Amino acid sequence: MPSTRRSCSADFRKGMIEKRLRRVRSIILILSGKGGVGKSVISAALAEILAQAGLKVGLLDADVYGPSSALIFGVHDFPKEKANGLVPPSRSGVKLMSVDLFASGRPVPITGLATVQVLTEVLALTDWGELDYLLVDMPPSTGDIMMFLTSLEKRKTSALVVSMPDRLSTGVASRVLTLLRSERFRVIGILGNMVRKAPSLSEGASSLETLASASRAPLLGVLPFDEGAAAAVERGDIDGLVRTRFSAQLRRSVKRHIDQS
Amino acid sequence: MHELTLVQGILDSVNESSSREDRRVARYTVGVGELAQFDVRLLRKLFRDLSKNTTLEGAKVSFVREKARLRCLGCERTMSFGDLSGQLSQQEKEMVHFLPELLNSCAKCPSCSRSYFEIDAGRSVRIVEIAFD
Repeated sequence: MPSTRRSCSADFRKGMIEKRLRRVRSIILILSGKGGVGKSVISAALAEILAQAGLKVGLLDADVYGPSSALIFGVHDFPKEKANGLVPPSRSGVKLMSVDLFASGRPVPITGLATVQVLTEVLALTDWGELDYLLVDMPPSTGDIMMFLTSLEKRKTSALVVSMPDRLSTGVASRVLTLLRSERFRVIGILGNMVRKAPSLSEGASSLETLASASRAPLLGVLPFDEGAAAAVERGDIDGLVRTRFSAQLRRSVKRHIDQS
Repeated sequence: MHELTLVQGILDSVNESSSREDRRVARYTVGVGELAQFDVRLLRKLFRDLSKNTTLEGAKVSFVREKARLRCLGCERTMSFGDLSGQLSQQEKEMVHFLPELLNSCAKCPSCSRSYFEIDAGRSVRIVEIAFD
């Protein structure tokens, strides 16, 4: 047989990512489409709640433009280089990876497609080891990062959609849910966040119930606006965050999901 | 060293191509992008060591150094890494070594002072070509 040459346009890092993610049992994308609704705080608290339940948990901050997971966890260490890749720093049982561990607070003014390059590199290089859950704190928008991450390991990946009760948030969350449905992506449910006390609580819960019903996704729970949680985030106190009323309600909301795992 | 991880990733990918084609790899070419600042001698050693006792042991690997070509999205000026690297501290060079896109976090266009580059070439390592027997 004559020799044959093949030029390669395929990205070898995709195979590396596939191999890494084989060791992860379940991937949960925490998204909302809109910024400022509490995705990062919910991601961090949920990661810690799962870790305290004895599960092996990783948290990837996919918000390349505005990463905050490292601040919430109070982690600033550059990932360590080992033979199998970059080892994410661990805090309170959660392994954390974020572009901010490399950029150290600098802005990252890059195009959407460049963010995909960055996350591809991070996912190819990060040695999470065996994980029960890899939580992904997603950036706002339905842009390149969402389309990239919803195309990875679809069979083991699902979405948790966060929305505040106001119509600006539910409107964007509704669009995200429509997109996820058209992508045939599994949705665990919706978490309402920053819902204030009565009388707006009933109104808030009602708008979230309408969102859940229209998108045919369960409303897992409604998390209160909690000054104690906000203060713990300000202090970079993840242990304090999981002791708040906010985290107690989050734990109840996801309990069935954890019990099934 | 994350070079080792990337070299293993390339070897796995070349090996999978060989299995898919059901043919032995005679040689393959690896592009080494300037932005990642890899030492080609180190890469050569890693390819030699990691392919030992594998189906790729006898395959010849060659390297093509790929100069970085950057384009400022502010003023459309094209430039080399050399036009920008003088602005970087050692820590910033290390950042770019891991994640080349982070050049935008620490360098400014010499013409318009914006930090908004697109990498057109020379990002990091890639498989350029595989030749089968």
